[in-house]
Order: sequence, then C-alpha cells, then structure tokens
Amino acid sequence: MIELYAIAEQPAPEVPSPLRAVAAGSLVAVCGPADDEVTPEALWQREMVLEGLMADRNLLPVRYGTRVEDEEAAARAVEERREHLAAALERVRGAVELSVRVVGEAGTAVHEPLLALARDAVVSRPQAPESHRAAYLVDRAAIQEFVDTVAALQRTTTNLQVLCTGPWPPYSFTSP
Amino acid sequence: MSADKILHAPPDLDPFARELPRLDHALSRRIDADPERVQRGLAQLVLTIVELLRQLMERQALRRIDGGTLSDEQVERLGQTFMELDRRMEELREHFGLTEEDLNLALGPLGNLL
Repeated sequence: MIELYAIAEQPAPEVPSPLRAVAAGSLVAVCGPADDEVTPEALWQREMVLEGLMADRNLLPVRYGTRVEDEEAAARAVEERREHLAAALERVRGAVELSVRVVGEAGTAVHEPLLALARDAVVSRPQAPESHRAAYLVDRAAIQEFVDTVAALQRTTTNLQVLCTGPWPPYSFTSP
Repeated sequence: MSADKILHAPPDLDPFARELPRLDHALSRRIDADPERVQRGLAQLVLTIVELLRQLMERQALRRIDGGTLSDEQVERLGQTFMELDRRMEELREHFGLTEEDLNLALGPLGNLL
C-alpha cells in the first residue's frame, strides 16, 4: 500500500526519496510509503512535504490516511476524478489557507472584514471558549494585509482575542 | 521551511491553549534571560503543533479516494496524539534550562519551529 499526499499539476515536482510523483494525465499524485504509525511526527513530516511543494506550485492536500494499492492505482484514482480535481485546483490557484480562531464576545464581528480580504471562507463550529472559528482562502499576495487586519481588529475591539495561523495547504477548500 | 505558523497571536494565548499542559511558572525561574520570551516561544510552538493536528483531524481534505483510509483504531490513536504532546512537553521541560536554540535541537523530527 502507498499513501497519497497531494494532487498537483504537471510538470511533476521533484520530490525527495522515498516520495514519488506519479503522473496521471495533466495531474500528478504525490505519494509516499504508507506509515502504520500515526504520530505527531508523521503528521508534521507530511505537512513539511506539502509546504515544500506549496512553495512554488498549487496543490490539493489529500486526507491523511488515504491509501491505494500501488502507483498504478494512484494514477487511476486521479484519472477517474480528473475533472473534479482540476476544478478544485483552479479554485485554490495562487491561494493559501489561513486559520482564525477568536475568543471574545465580538467573535463573529471579525468575520465580515476578513471575508472581504479572502476568496472564500469555511466557518466551523467554535468550541468554547471560542466565539468564532473559520478558515479563509487568501491570495498569496493578500496574506500580509489579512494579518494586518487581524492585528487591527484585535487592537480596536475590546475583549477580543484573535489567533491566526498559516499559511496552510488549502485543507478546507479541496472541493471545486 | 517550517517557519512559525502563528501569524498573529493575541496578548493572551491561554484561552486557546486550554487543552495544553500549563506552562509551569517554575520553569521561567530557571531561565536567565528574558523568561517571558522563552515561555511564549514554547507556547507558540505547542500551539502550532496542536493547530496542525486539528487541521488534519477536523478537515476532510479530498473525500475518501479509495479503500484503505484510516481505521477507527488509527483515528483514536490520532486523538491520542494530544496526549503525546504532554510527553513532549515533559521532554522540553527537561531541556528547559538550556537556550532557545537547544530547545529546537531537542525537538528532533519536528524541526525548528521557533
């Protein structure tokens, strides 16, 4: 069994061994050995691989633990979903995911100004004591403005704590 | 490559770090220079790792592509990674008398996050 890491576009990226870039038409599946041990280190190493690839190309992160029989099966899985994946890649082209978590009464008030700077957003259910939790799809060129806006909201709103992390691979934006 | 993933941190990180082990105030007494900075750096490091785990656990990137996604047991184990962080914090504490740079080295495969 091998594990899928990410879907990217041709030309195939150079990936460090033991990773493999498997061509599937105009797309590429980045695969690696399936790891039985699920550890923070394994997650983090995978994240490093994705971020390395993300530095100069667009990609869709594949859900952790997604496995196929071999490279042939990986190519087939990608081919079968070619249109869907290509459209999904189009959606995230040139953008990254930024995560925002807010503690404070005015939590949702930060959403509108941040959404205005983003291509899209996925709001998820906040967990106490949070009042807002969302992922924003932000153009690479707009990251700084987004972060500056977060800082400004923090400064100008009383009783508000905003935590912003990223840039992440577009984990929340993998559907077209 | 693994630059700090915290783009903006609030003045008080505590509410976000509830699930994390308390950063023992006793630790800072062992730091000669700028204990606040070191402690904050440590909090950021752990938050970064937790945020990553959260991302990976909460979000379904591409929907199930083929057979062979994670088993229930593996998902449970993934949840236990939070417990694993406890252990890691312990390790960090052991090294805490050292410099921030030494702290980085102690993280091994997690890389230089601070």
